[in-house]
Amino acid sequence: MKKSGILLFCLVAVLIGVVACKKDDPEETKPGFDRVAMLTAYRDQFIVPAYQEALSKSTSLRDAAQAFTAAPSTELLGSLQSAWIDAAVAWQQACMYNFGPAGESGILKSLQEELATFPVSETKLNSILSTGTWNTSDFNRDARGFYAIEYLIFDPLSDAQTLVERFNAQMRRDFLVALCNDVRNRISTVQNAWSSYGSEFISNSGTDAGSSVALLYNEFVKSYEAIKNFKFGLPLGLRPGQTAVAPELLEARYSKISFRLAKAHYNHIVNLYRGVDESKSFKGYLKTVTGGEALVTETETQLSVLAGQFNALDENLDMADRIVNNPQALIDLHTELQKNTKNFKSDMSSLLGIAITFTSGDGD
Amino acid sequence: MAFSALRFVYLGWIEEHYIEPIFHFSYYGFSWVKPLGVWGMYLVHALMFFSALGVATGRLYRVSAIFLFLTFSYTELIDLTYYLNHYYFVSLICLWLIFMPEPDAQFRMPQWCRFIILFQLTVVYCYAGWAKMNSDWLLEALPLRIWLPAHDDLPIIGPLLVYPETAYLFCWFGMIYDCFIAFFLFYNRTRPLAYFTVIVFHVLTGLLFQIGVFPWVMIGSTLIFFSIHWHERNLNILRKIKVFNALFKLDYPNNNTVNNFHIGPLLRAFLFVFIVFQLLFPWRYLLYPGNLFWTEEGYRFSWRVMLVEKAGDATFYVKDGVTGREGIVYNREFLNIHQEKQMSFQPDMILQFAHFLGKHYSTKGVQKPQVRAEVYVTMNARKAQLLIDPHVDLMQVKDTWAPKSWILPYSP
Repeated sequence: MKKSGILLFCLVAVLIGVVACKKDDPEETKPGFDRVAMLTAYRDQFIVPAYQEALSKSTSLRDAAQAFTAAPSTELLGSLQSAWIDAAVAWQQACMYNFGPAGESGILKSLQEELATFPVSETKLNSILSTGTWNTSDFNRDARGFYAIEYLIFDPLSDAQTLVERFNAQMRRDFLVALCNDVRNRISTVQNAWSSYGSEFISNSGTDAGSSVALLYNEFVKSYEAIKNFKFGLPLGLRPGQTAVAPELLEARYSKISFRLAKAHYNHIVNLYRGVDESKSFKGYLKTVTGGEALVTETETQLSVLAGQFNALDENLDMADRIVNNPQALIDLHTELQKNTKNFKSDMSSLLGIAITFTSGDGD
Repeated sequence: MAFSALRFVYLGWIEEHYIEPIFHFSYYGFSWVKPLGVWGMYLVHALMFFSALGVATGRLYRVSAIFLFLTFSYTELIDLTYYLNHYYFVSLICLWLIFMPEPDAQFRMPQWCRFIILFQLTVVYCYAGWAKMNSDWLLEALPLRIWLPAHDDLPIIGPLLVYPETAYLFCWFGMIYDCFIAFFLFYNRTRPLAYFTVIVFHVLTGLLFQIGVFPWVMIGSTLIFFSIHWHERNLNILRKIKVFNALFKLDYPNNNTVNNFHIGPLLRAFLFVFIVFQLLFPWRYLLYPGNLFWTEEGYRFSWRVMLVEKAGDATFYVKDGVTGREGIVYNREFLNIHQEKQMSFQPDMILQFAHFLGKHYSTKGVQKPQVRAEVYVTMNARKAQLLIDPHVDLMQVKDTWAPKSWILPYSP
């Protein structure tokens, strides 16, 4: 009786035995990957420093705004503008961690949307400047944040003196300071929250939907696609239904540092992929799984093509001008970004077994 | 007799969340099924909940069963990307519940009721087992070799999952389990051990994979293999608990009317057609050329579960047929993350989405839109390759049962 059942159990027992013996074999290097070490490295070498840097630069921006509004001058405008550029560049490193303290909660959108939505609405901003009423916590995310500040303090069509004179209006000075405070405070809140969220981030080390690996990975992909779609594709007029280029949709179109920001953003994403110590990065993780080596090689090939294209262009190039007059290099860049999408998106999640949604599946 | 086993399964199928993406993928022939809007969907789910309760407690049984089948199947038919084999299974069982008579004074049911459920379960297991007999599964331990290491943080068994040997063990055990478990469950002698295996197997897979209620559905429904005496014993225990007794009407009905268990010719014919369909439909893939796992022609409704790891990246290009200007679609503008993921490697969904895009953009000023798609798919961790011909204008292609010539062959 129960012969078949017993047989089945014997088979299982034997096979478990085989596995167990294998495990005891000291010669065998332990396969697998230490995700806790990877998450720790990402927290300590990427995320926390990125928020610290963004906080420090946005604090300097607020101080520069206060100094400028106390006594508007072309000189102080210059230092305010460079403080803004520093803060905007620093933000490119922190803009991709929109989970945990920086994620959506209730009516609050992700930190990136709350303080770096572009393009801003000139209509809304002009209306605020004429009525003098604003609210930095409503749904008008295109009327606050970095690029609203930019709209106030940069104008490619006017000289510095004209810009300074606009700040004779008390309302404009108050609005500027309020915007800078808002940006700084939002970053400060998230930066503070990470000191307690940090340990949760590391302990949630599985690969299920909602695990830290899945959260970080999803934002990594989303951020990469945002560069391709919103910093290149849309302004280049590459969306269906667009009948012309749309330089007015560029990020940072008043300060004209669009390309510099896009490049900083892209570089940070690649750095995250590679890690400071490769063995504690997505790239290192990939190398330990089935099919991973081949994907890493293919990805690196494409990343070097991309690095070549980014570096061939002047960091300070005027994207709006290039889009209108000579867009080919930028279109090519968009094409190459597109080619790498599958490596970062479908292939990587498939190989690592990261669950990108909570919906249950059949495994096909 | 079947009731004690079945009734408990129903509680817990209600998922209240319903998001409304802009576009829904439809089942072939069911494109007329549309979502009802937020309140409508809540109503449907409420109805489903109460009809499930009705079926489980035997109150308003027939009406409840009809509503349960209709509401459940309706929510499944809205969007193809949510297709799951076990939802299909539940739908089928619900269909049969409609035709089952209420138990008679002795709590008896006609034999065919038990038979059809047993048949369905046996088909599910055997076909799932047969599907596992492929070289990737048995010789390469794929895709489990990809999936298992991702769960190395589980207690006790976690550390073992990183070893390829574990994946092989799981693969072979899974195949043998699926092929034979139904037969072990049939025989009195092997049944207790077999059912114990059922629990272990499904709990384990439930822990390892994101498969929702499936393990509980199977653990619950395989109870039907147990004998009438076994169920009687358990019922007697449950009857002693007043709450259960009142809730599920476990007492013998008081009225002495005896149901007519005669099986009509119509039902007989339906049973026959259903059984033939269940036996033959999964084999339709043989009529299609190419690698089944790659083309997925004839893949669904065939109890193929957890068989292959696939992921794709689909880039759609919409071209204005008059001006020649071509634009690149941002999929997430129209789809949620789950829909995009599922669509990106399944040709029929790609085609549906392409047609949607063509229609959508023709209202946005794109004239005579042509839609093509560059779709890279990775299967079982192998290098991604093009799934479909990137030059074909998908607007000119219609979805039919005929083989899709625009799918590119898989080269391992």
